[in-house]
Amino acid sequence: MTSVKKKYDASDFEMFFGPAHPGSGNFSVKVEMRGERVLKATADPGYLHRGFEKLMEYREPMQNSVLSDRVCVLEPLQWNLVHAEAVDDLMDYDVPERAKYIRVILAELSRIQSHFIWYAVLSLGTGFMTGFNVAMGYRDYILDVFNLITGGRVYPAGYICPGGVRKDLPENAEKKILAVLDKIEYMRKFASTENLAWLSRFKEVGILTKEEAIKYGATGPILRGSGFVTDVRREDPYEIYDLLEFDIPVHDEGDAYSRFRVGMEEIEESMKIITQALDRLPEGEVRTPTLKPIVQFRKANGETYIRNELSRGEGAFYMVATGEKTPYRVKIRGPSFSHMIPILERLLTGVNYADVPAIYWSLYQCPADVDR
Amino acid sequence: MKIGPVKEVFKNLFKKPMTVMFPEEVVEIPERNRGRHHLDIDNCISCGSCAKICPNRAIRMIEAPPDFKEKYPKTYPQVDLGKCCFCALCEDVCPKDALTLTTNVFLATFEKEDTYVNPIEV
Ligand code: SF4
Ligand code: SF4
Repeated sequence: MTSVKKKYDASDFEMFFGPAHPGSGNFSVKVEMRGERVLKATADPGYLHRGFEKLMEYREPMQNSVLSDRVCVLEPLQWNLVHAEAVDDLMDYDVPERAKYIRVILAELSRIQSHFIWYAVLSLGTGFMTGFNVAMGYRDYILDVFNLITGGRVYPAGYICPGGVRKDLPENAEKKILAVLDKIEYMRKFASTENLAWLSRFKEVGILTKEEAIKYGATGPILRGSGFVTDVRREDPYEIYDLLEFDIPVHDEGDAYSRFRVGMEEIEESMKIITQALDRLPEGEVRTPTLKPIVQFRKANGETYIRNELSRGEGAFYMVATGEKTPYRVKIRGPSFSHMIPILERLLTGVNYADVPAIYWSLYQCPADVDR
Repeated sequence: MKIGPVKEVFKNLFKKPMTVMFPEEVVEIPERNRGRHHLDIDNCISCGSCAKICPNRAIRMIEAPPDFKEKYPKTYPQVDLGKCCFCALCEDVCPKDALTLTTNVFLATFEKEDTYVNPIEV
């Protein structure tokens, strides 16, 4: 009797943070608490599992391109790009120069809107509603550009497809993108202000040391927020990133605030990239096998692993082709998987419950790409 | 007290809001927007490519209604918008540009039958 009583003290709780919590996304963490202190956190993924890896074995590459949007709702164009590159590699497609530029411009716009969402959810998680509304409002301007170019606000439906892009930029697109960059600049200034709410909620909260970050497999802004200089766009350049000039923002503190600052500074770098790419945008074709959206995947044989720098970290596609119409095996590496399971569990241990949303969102998770 | 936020408040008081008052005012929908399908049945050659490429199997090749059977003897695509993900692959693959996606985005309905785009609307 005594042992049970000891185990379940009146001040001990077990709570679920998510998966239907307004501040959690479709992901849940079971937190065991004593009073206000978290004793142990256990991540519980799987709520959003849609079985994309298996589905892709039954669909042709062009259909998979449409499916690849859905891997992460918040950055569909970037997932389009990784998938397209994997098929390009297997098919030995020579992607036209103009298509490469368009791909990069759209991927970077997608990164910016994704970082706006980060700002918005961080605000939401800490009760700063103005930040949420402003960020989501400004993100809408970017979505309007996506609608103009790809035909869909959130889902481009495989706009970046194997062999290039599905359609050329419409006439007024360049002007529209430049106009939107001005709006982004305003939002960037708004976000970079030293807001008291940020400082008091994020400083020295959820510190991830450099050693731990590497041990647990952090990538992208999370790793850069712990002081490690790394970026796939620089180390393993794809598309035209080796021709562009941009910096890699890094902060050493490893706390939630430094991760957040890395993200906000990346917006500026992405804007630089877009301006350079628009300046040099060449004329010409935008798709290798022109005309109809069919990829002769039977010609492909072998395997490939393609990695890209997404806004959340390193995302990758492993694809095997055996001369069938469909891929033999597809494996998707989502960046949030290692951020949300080992790292989140480690960072939540021992913190105050009020800090849970701040740490949770500072890891910039996307439940969709954890579960796939 | 800092003056910054106060300035911002006054600036925003006189700015146009980001949202529009919907039925009276609408946002402009770009030409490429992927909305409800439209079939130009006279151009369709019944090749079935659209049904084959559709990732969601939302297209079924059906016969024309009895009254029109004489004029249109073959089978034509019927799109189930309830299954469709609006990817426009069917539009891209069509050799005769018979099937297109329009900018019509007003798809909400109470009737299940309204979610079908039939080759001939009777
Ligand atoms: S838009 Fe895509 S999902 Fe819809 S009917 Fe056409 S091919 Fe199928
Ligand atoms: S709509 Fe186009 S693709 Fe579909 S059956 Fe007719 S001609 Fe063929």
